[in-house]
Amino acid sequence: MSSLQGYVDRPVLLVLQDGRAIVGTMAGFDQKSNVVLSDSKERVYSADEGVEEIPLGLYLVKGDQIVLIGELDEEKDRSVDLSTIRADPIPPIHY
Amino acid sequence: MDATAAPGIQEPFDLIRLSLSERVFVKLRGDRELTGVLHAYDGHMNLILSDVEETILIVDGGEGGKTNGTVNLAKRKMAMLFVRGDGVILVRTSYDLLDAIDLCRRQKIVQKCAKLC
Amino acid sequence: MLIFSVFKTLTDQRVTVELKNDLSITGTLKSVDQFLNIRLDGIKVLDEQRYPHMMAVKNCFIRGSVVRYVQLPAEHVDTQLLEDATRREAANQTKR
Repeated sequence: MSSLQGYVDRPVLLVLQDGRAIVGTMAGFDQKSNVVLSDSKERVYSADEGVEEIPLGLYLVKGDQIVLIGELDEEKDRSVDLSTIRADPIPPIHY
Repeated sequence: MDATAAPGIQEPFDLIRLSLSERVFVKLRGDRELTGVLHAYDGHMNLILSDVEETILIVDGGEGGKTNGTVNLAKRKMAMLFVRGDGVILVRTSYDLLDAIDLCRRQKIVQKCAKLC
Repeated sequence: MLIFSVFKTLTDQRVTVELKNDLSITGTLKSVDQFLNIRLDGIKVLDEQRYPHMMAVKNCFIRGSVVRYVQLPAEHVDTQLLEDATRREAANQTKR
């Protein structure tokens, strides 16, 4: 397994198959890359409004729904004013 | 085993094996096509190609119907590319290779006929 | 197994992974596993204007199943070696 171990207890961004972006702290994972996030929020992007953050709390994401898991640079993430970001959501995966 | 088969051609993957270091055409999901020189493949049809040209068919307008959408081609080149097998629809070998196999098969048939006569 | 080995030889090289959602991410290949899940370091998303979502991401784990292409550094790929290894693997497959 190209391990997720390094991401435990770190702030991460999850991109899902349907294009959703979820940020949170990686609480745990297993070999199927199922992931538990604590203190998680969905970031909803839109082309004509700033990014809206929806709190989700403790969240379990099934591995097969995951596109990528990115480790966030907390400082850089905090420095971004999400209300100024205008962008379409990430496109969904189509096979 | 088919006696008329060209040497080393028993299953579809043999055709791909004989195309190693040859230029192949690959049709992919999502209206994409590639040509490139084949260097590696596996049972999932994962491929590694070099000197690749990708063509994407982009249909503009005519949203969700058969209305007159214009078709645009987007092309780009990549030096060395891994292609994940789940997107592969077909791999076409060069015509030369197919001709060579065909010739080989015909010769075998001729030999067989000669023996029978 | 063959492709997995190829990727292992390319660790610490810069690659560009193109996903099935059209996102392209360039980064240093840190590790790969048998599912061809990929870990990239020092990542940069192509077309950051359109995809600002990953601005603050420094490294990432990409699920193998969502990969469309990986652009490889041609100078670090020995094509002759690849072809020989592919023939060997093909021969082993038919023996089984």
